[in-house]
Order: sequence, then structure tokens, then C-alpha cells
Amino acid sequence: MGIALKNLRRFGRGFWRGVREWCGDAAYERYLRSSAVRREGCGQMSAQEFYVQQLDRRYSRPNRCC
Amino acid sequence: MRRLGRILIWFVVALLGACSLAKIALDRGESLNAMWFVIAAVCCYLVAYRLYSAFLAARLLALDDTRATPSERHDDGRDFVPTSKWVLFGHHFAAIAGPGPLVGPTLAAQFGYLPGTLWLIAGAAFAGCVQDFIILFCSIRRDGKSIGQMAREEVSKRSGFIAQIAVLAILVILLGVVALVVVNALKSSPWATFTLAMTIPIALLVGVYLRFVRPGRVLEGSLLGVALILFVVIAGQWVADSASWSRVFTLGGIPLAFALIVYAFAASALPVWLLLAPRDYLSAFIKAGAIFALAAGILYVRPHVLMPPLTRFIDGNGPVFAGKIFPFCFITIACGAISGFHSLISSGTTPKMILRESHARFIGYGAMLLESFVGVMAMVAACAMTPGVYFAINSPPSIVGATPDAAAATISGWGYPLTAQTMAGLAHAVGEQTLWNRAGGAPSLAVGMAQIFSNTIGGERLLSIWYHFAIMFEALFILTVLDAGTRVGRFMVQELGGRVWKPFGRTGWMPSILLSSAIIVGMWGYFLYQGVVDPLGGINSLWPLFGISNQLLAAVALVVATTILLKMGRTRWIWVTLLPTAWLVTITMTASYQKIFDANPRIGFLAYANALAAQIAAGKIPAAKLADTQRLIFNQRLDATVTAVLALMIIALILEALLQWYGILSRRSASTLQESPYVQTQWAEGYSGVAQGDD
Repeated sequence: MGIALKNLRRFGRGFWRGVREWCGDAAYERYLRSSAVRREGCGQMSAQEFYVQQLDRRYSRPNRCC
Repeated sequence: MRRLGRILIWFVVALLGACSLAKIALDRGESLNAMWFVIAAVCCYLVAYRLYSAFLAARLLALDDTRATPSERHDDGRDFVPTSKWVLFGHHFAAIAGPGPLVGPTLAAQFGYLPGTLWLIAGAAFAGCVQDFIILFCSIRRDGKSIGQMAREEVSKRSGFIAQIAVLAILVILLGVVALVVVNALKSSPWATFTLAMTIPIALLVGVYLRFVRPGRVLEGSLLGVALILFVVIAGQWVADSASWSRVFTLGGIPLAFALIVYAFAASALPVWLLLAPRDYLSAFIKAGAIFALAAGILYVRPHVLMPPLTRFIDGNGPVFAGKIFPFCFITIACGAISGFHSLISSGTTPKMILRESHARFIGYGAMLLESFVGVMAMVAACAMTPGVYFAINSPPSIVGATPDAAAATISGWGYPLTAQTMAGLAHAVGEQTLWNRAGGAPSLAVGMAQIFSNTIGGERLLSIWYHFAIMFEALFILTVLDAGTRVGRFMVQELGGRVWKPFGRTGWMPSILLSSAIIVGMWGYFLYQGVVDPLGGINSLWPLFGISNQLLAAVALVVATTILLKMGRTRWIWVTLLPTAWLVTITMTASYQKIFDANPRIGFLAYANALAAQIAAGKIPAAKLADTQRLIFNQRLDATVTAVLALMIIALILEALLQWYGILSRRSASTLQESPYVQTQWAEGYSGVAQGDD
């Protein structure tokens, strides 16, 4: 029972993390962890700046199909 | 022993798939349970994935997990983001799955369920998935370059130019035709129009929330938006029941077309965060939910397919669109079997996010199989309704008759019994004023989906809510394609214009934004307008045009893939891409020829234009309709010209490719691959792109 519950919790955590990554909810956290930011140090964007810049880039190329 | 067991399991899966396919193909009983479709499709997909994609991965492409992917080499947290296999699969699938796999199979159901289903399964396994997988692989090896860049570098500059024009052509025609699908779904429907109109202020609200209140908290904002959208779906009934409000939201085809044009112009010119992006978030969640619900509903209800395997309309006289089963079934179902547009996604965002080369098999090949399955479900939903009802919804009055009684008599005469009362009762049950003449696939699919959903939850009582939920779901993500496509088209126009006059190419300059948005909206808006005023229903001429342009882009992608494979020295396996290319060129050229030159005015653009011109010459057209008829003649000639240009582009591309291939095989030209140099991965074997404690 304990193992099943543990597996269920692990699955739930993985699923939640997957959904957040899929929809872009975790994009800023991911950006902060990226090696480019670690290299650039304090020159990172704020959450708001990142959000707007990321959207501008994403919607300037085909990203939704027929 | 274990190996023997595995072989046995796969043998059973293959046998089950073969038996289910045989049942679908040979059954001539009263009706067939939809479960046969699900089993046949799933078994075929499993076998194709296990065997064919494994062959492609190991022998043809030789995927190499020791090689660092672009996301590792350029990890910038913005474009190049290492992403786990499952999450990227979700991203890729959400990007490739648009209205095409839902609308195409619904329209092709006029031939019966068999041809479309077989093409969906076989086309995906041997053509669509192959294209998506190989282009994804090629782009990964080239730092995520686009299909246009790869065509230019690996084939020739001219091929790159053809690819660029093909992308613009497909975009314009696609936007025109999907907008027409929305117009036909919303026409004279205050409930549906109100619901869709309300999604605009909801998207604006979510946009402001995500920009200023909780920047980037997409889940919170989307959940708020989805809840509001579900509320307006229900509230739409109150609007439809109110005499005064109902009048406000009851619109004809032309006002709806102009409303869509104005909306897309605004969405393209406004900041992305305000309207376009939040609508896309809402659409992605509702799309994922609705597709999952449709699959669950089909499994739970297990409806019977009432459409025969083949209808009399394989002879080319179908009321939904004219043309024989070959080539028009294969043009009508593009997405779901093979779609050139996917090559833009496979060479766009996905290659920049992939973690390992081996993931390309699951993401490229696997996501396309899932899209094909969506197409099979749409086919089931369309074929599960009474055939008479299907033809009544999708046929224009010029074919079946203007009054309900006349139309019911025509359709019954075809051997699909129907009464005007049946249609009136169904329209009332789904909360619509009428369901006659709603060509485009969306309303008939919505009826099919609503019947499946209401048999799962709520029964007859909730039929109208489910119908409008389905219409909202289709219209919402078509609008997302419309505004996102218009914006991308705007950038293309700015890039092309910038070559002539530099300031026009500045993407942030307001006059250029407004002018380029107006140009792209004007182009697809014209196709939309001509579809709305076309007495043959618009879909009859525009959907095949869209299919031809989509398959043209697929031919570009497969030619690029073939050239790269030849340069890689995979001559022995070249049939993998060469056979689908040959098939695509054959169907596209045959369809283009017939659409231009066929003597039947419902098929041939020129024959229709000539027939109308003859009517004017004979004085049969009243003076009041003269201008409209002349415009109709112009539209037919325009469509013929567009088709001819697309066909010429295919011929030019093939000649260019043949020369290139001859040069490579005879070693007359250099066959240097433009791949990025090999860099060994630094990631440990089990690295999944997720940091510890990243919950």
C-alpha cells in the first residue's frame, strides 16, 4: 500500500510538472536555470520582460498548424 | 524464450489489426460498431511504430544519442530549451493538430467510411509520419533550421524560393478556407456567435492577468479563462432564447466574414500578449480536453457507424464537393494522413527543444500517428450519424434544393431516407434555427460529437449544450490558427517587402505592421469572401485548393528529405521518401489538372466560368445578378490560375530535384551535407532535462 501510494505521488508530481512545462507555466523557472543565464549572471530578465519577449518570438514563426 | 514471447505478442497485435481492417473493409451488414475502427487503427499504429519507425531510426537515419542536440549546444532558456520527451511530444502534438484532421475526414465521409479510414491509417504510417520524423531529424542535425533554409542549402536556391512561396500560398489559402468553416458554423446561430464573440473579451482579460497581475502564470490564467468560456457556452442559450439579444447575434455569411477579417487584422497588429497568446492558451487546453473527451466518448458509447463503406458519390458527383475518389479523397484528407504544414513545425520549435536524437522517433513519428487517430475519430463521429442528416447538413441548396421538403426529397432519392421534420427536430434539439446548408464539416462534426457526448453524459437534455461546446471548441482553435497564421503571414509579407523597400521590413514599425497586416488579411479575406458568396458552397472549390497547396509543401519537404538521404549515402533505402513523393505528385497533379480543365462545371474552374459566361451571353442572367455573376466568373478564373501556379511550382521543384539527384548519383556535383559538426553530449545517460526538486 505504502509503495503504491509513493508511486502514485511520484506519478502525480511528474504529471503536474509535465503539465506546467507543456503549457509554459514553468518557462521562466526554466529560463533562470538555463546555462545561458548562469553564464550571463546578473543580466537576466524579469518575469514580465521574459514573458513578453518569449511570446513575441514564439508568434513570429509558424507554431500552429492546419 | 522472452524474445519468442515478444514476437508472439506482436504477431497477435498484427493479426488483430488485420482482422479488424478486414471487418471494416468487407462488412456489408446494417451497421458496424466503431470499436472496429479503434482496434484497427491502434493495432496498425502500434505495428507501424514498432517496426517501420524502428527501421527508419536504426537503418535509415542511424540516430545517435552520443551526439549533442541543438538544445544542449545552444541552451539559452528561450528558443533552445532541453525538454523531456513526453512534454515535447505534447508541445509538438498541440502544434500540429489543428482543424484539418477534424474537417478533412468529415468532408471525405461523403465517399463512405472506407476510403478515408484506409488513407488516414496507411497515409500516416507510410507518408505523414515519415515526413515529420525525417524533417525533424534533418533539422536537429542543422541547429533547428527551417524547411526553407534546408531546401536552399541542400537542394538549391530556387527550391528554397519555391518553399518560401509555397508556405505563403498555403497560409493564405488555409486561412481563407478555415475562416469559411467558421462562418458556416456560426451562420444564423446566435448561440454559437455569442459564445465565440465572448471568447475575445475573455482572452483580453486573461492576457492582462498574465501580463500584469501574475506574469507568466499560464495555468492560473488559462483555468480562469476556460471556466469563463464554459460559462458563456451555457449562457449562449439565454441569448438564443431572448428575442432582442438573439437578433443582435444572428448574422449572415457576409457580416460574419467581415467580422473575422477585422478580428484577425486586430489580433495581428495588437501586442501578442494581449489577445493572440491568451487565446492560444485557452484553445490548447480546450483542444486537449475535447480530443480526450471524444476518444473517451467513442470508447464508452461504442456508436454504430451508419454510413455505408462506399457511397454512390465515389463517381465524382458528391454534393459536399465534386470529384472522384481518386484523387479527391487524398486531397481532401491532407492533415491526418500527410500534411506539408507539419514540416514547418518539425523544422521550427521542436528540433530546438529535443533532448536526444532518439526522441525524434517518438515525437516525429508518434505525434503524427496520434493526429491520424484524431482523424479516424472525426471519421467515426461523422459516420455515426444518419447518412441523410450528414448530407443535409453538408450540401448546398443549389444541389439539393432550396426548401427543406425539396432537399429532403433529393437526399431520400439518393437512397438516404430523410424527412424535413427530422432535420427540424434535430435543429431544435441542438438549439439551432436550422441545420440545412452548413457545409464546412464543423456543424456535422459537432452534431456527431454532441450525439456521442450526450450518450455519455446528460442524454437528450444536454444535446444542445454539447453541440455548442463542440462548435465553440472547433471555432476557438480555428480562430487561433487564423490570428496566429495572419501574424506569421504578416512577417512573411514584411520580409518579402523589405527586399524591395527596406523600412517595410522593420517588424516593429507601425505603418509597416498595419500595411502588411492589411495585405495578408486582404489576400485570405478575398478567398473567404468568394467562398461565402459561391452558390456551390465555397468548400467545393476552396478545400481542394487548400489540399493541393498543403500537399505541394509536403512534396517540398519530401524532396528535401530525399536529397539529404542521397547525400548521406542512403540510396538503398531511398524508396522510403521517394514513394510518398511520387504518390503526392501524382495526386496533386491529377487534382490540379481536373480542377482546372475538367468539363464538369462543379469540378473544373474554367468549365464553370465558361458555363456562367454562356448564360450571360444567352441572356439568362437577370440584370440585377449580372455583376455578381461576372465576379463569380472572375473568381473561378482566379482559382484556376492559383491552381496552375501551384502545379507549375511542383513541376519546377521536381525538375530541380531530379537534376540535383542525377548530379549526386553520377558524382557530377558535390554531395556535401550542410550538417552541424559532431559534438559529443555532456549529459549523463539518464538525463531527462529536469533539474532535481523541480516540482
